[in-house]
Amino acid sequence: MLKALFERLRQGFKTGAFPPAAPNLPPDFRGRPEIDSDITAEDVERAQSVCPVVGALSRDVEGAKLDMGRCIFCGRCAEVCGKIRFTKEYRLGVFRREDLVVKSGEHGYEPPKQTDPAALSLKRSLQLREVSAGGCAACELDANVLGTLAWDMGRFGIRFVASPRHADAIYVTGPVSKNMQLALDKTFAAAPEPKFLIAAGACAISGGLYERGNLPATPVLYIPGCPPHPATTLEALLRFTGSL
Amino acid sequence: MTETKIFETAAEANAFLDSLGGYVEPKAVTPLKGESAHEVAVGPVHAGVIEPGHFRFQCMGEDVYNLQIFLGYQHRGVEDAIAAADGNRSRQIALAETCAGDTSIAAATCFAEICETRDGKHPTDEDLRLRELLLELERVANHVGDLGALAGDVAFLPTASFCGRIRGEYLNMTALLCGNRFGRNAVVPGGMRVALTDEKKAKLAEWISRVRKDLDGALRLMFEEPTVLERLEGTGVVPKETAEEIGLVGVARRASAELQGDVLSRALVRRMEIDEAHARIASLLGDAASCRVTAITAPHTGDAASCRVTAITATHPGDAASSRVTTITAPHPGDAASCRVTTITATRHGDAASCRVTTIVVTVNAWRGPLVHAALFDPDGKLLRYKIVDPSAHNWQGLAYALRGEQISNFPICNKSFNLSYCGTDR
Repeated sequence: MLKALFERLRQGFKTGAFPPAAPNLPPDFRGRPEIDSDITAEDVERAQSVCPVVGALSRDVEGAKLDMGRCIFCGRCAEVCGKIRFTKEYRLGVFRREDLVVKSGEHGYEPPKQTDPAALSLKRSLQLREVSAGGCAACELDANVLGTLAWDMGRFGIRFVASPRHADAIYVTGPVSKNMQLALDKTFAAAPEPKFLIAAGACAISGGLYERGNLPATPVLYIPGCPPHPATTLEALLRFTGSL
Repeated sequence: MTETKIFETAAEANAFLDSLGGYVEPKAVTPLKGESAHEVAVGPVHAGVIEPGHFRFQCMGEDVYNLQIFLGYQHRGVEDAIAAADGNRSRQIALAETCAGDTSIAAATCFAEICETRDGKHPTDEDLRLRELLLELERVANHVGDLGALAGDVAFLPTASFCGRIRGEYLNMTALLCGNRFGRNAVVPGGMRVALTDEKKAKLAEWISRVRKDLDGALRLMFEEPTVLERLEGTGVVPKETAEEIGLVGVARRASAELQGDVLSRALVRRMEIDEAHARIASLLGDAASCRVTAITAPHTGDAASCRVTAITATHPGDAASSRVTTITAPHPGDAASCRVTTITATRHGDAASCRVTTIVVTVNAWRGPLVHAALFDPDGKLLRYKIVDPSAHNWQGLAYALRGEQISNFPICNKSFNLSYCGTDR
């Protein structure tokens, strides 16, 4: 007992200052991409040729588009094409699927604010039931990390709970494999109304590198990444309930 | 102990790859009957934030008579996707990395070494050094996380809290080196996408020495606490002979071979591997001349048996008589350097140019144990088949065995002591 107390005193207080302070991101962190407006068709083709994900990068009459819902943020496109850059913007969570698509020429990004009263009512208590559905477990691991004392998500009233009966939202990760479809549908059905669906990671949002099964409802929060950085996830959850 | 397999046809080589185990359809259980028999079903969705799998505890009274484990919920066809993406290596390596998220670096290393062996283009020593550095950080991060989780499961919260945070420090060190906490998108065939600069080296060395103190403090608390030791010792025993018989690998094999094979042994092996990994990291961060990159893929035990796949030989399809086996490399016990890449090329009449089917098998010493990737190429270099054998695939049977005669309440600590990958097994 005393030894544990001494060790605690020696190690000191370790919970990060984020938020409200800025998160401590690695120097090579790849956040929200930016595409220059003068990107050419050849540039896009070159970038597509090294892109691991089918359909992440596209081009139409409006210009080039990068779908963060598919992107795994590997940065290969930026390596071969100077017109694409990955910024340090980690606030990637959005409430509508179409907001995940970054268009060429867009600058000065501001993340969307929550206006839905049902989501705002969860400001001081958001209980999540996580369903891992066919992914690689990286999203699950970095969701778990938020419960450690380094992030201490509990101080904002956000928790992962053991049963869908206790949940305000179902937090899906993974591309919804065939064998997890029934379990996911049942888990969502078991949550009491009103309930929300949150899709975290490229797999849950679009399938990412894989083909995705069916989501039981339209998500109200999309957290892109492969996997999303814990700062991205925590910021998205707080903004979802209007705390930020 | 060398095992050599010679196949007459590619079909036989394929059948052998199949026999290495892997995806299992979730299927009905064999019922247990008797007066005091009852069953407890858990999953596929578990109470924690973890992967899906179905467990059926078949009990006689209080004791677990048998544990049936059903996997396959995570099956998404990683191997077929890699084979289908032939020609797009950035997609292939990204798929390999997402086979099991906690083993991303080891998987990328496997894939890269297959390509490097195929192309005959090998990375520089500096690149290999960074690769191994990432691999050791991956090992430490996972072992630290599991020891913390183990402490949490026996309600010893100081170590659980400390280790949860410290694991994150090691993930952040990985991110310092390559930008991603899981070491994704760093390894590429032929080298690395990022360089290990002197600035990063210095920062990492300083960071690791600081965190190491916290880690040692946290682990000392746990391993000096009688209430913790009492719960871990003698729980979930897999005897040495059984471990050999059911073919356990990695941490679990080592715990049974070198120690008593209980939960405590598996925890101690992880602590030993944390120490070994730190020694390795220190030498990798040291002077270039004093360090030779060799240990990346050797099974820690130096025990050939812990490395299941040894040699696969594919010969000219359909024409057995005209083909001759030329190179077979098997992992050599104790000799790290010789247990790297196994290339088996069948040639015709000793003429390499006429070779038809090449199987390249790479074993990397991932944190759970030997991770095996195998690729079958046709004479034009087209990828015919890709096969991944996660160390977990060998060890699930060990978990089921460990729980025999235990109470269900001991399942969490048995499970954490193995911490097997569902997605790695299901692929």
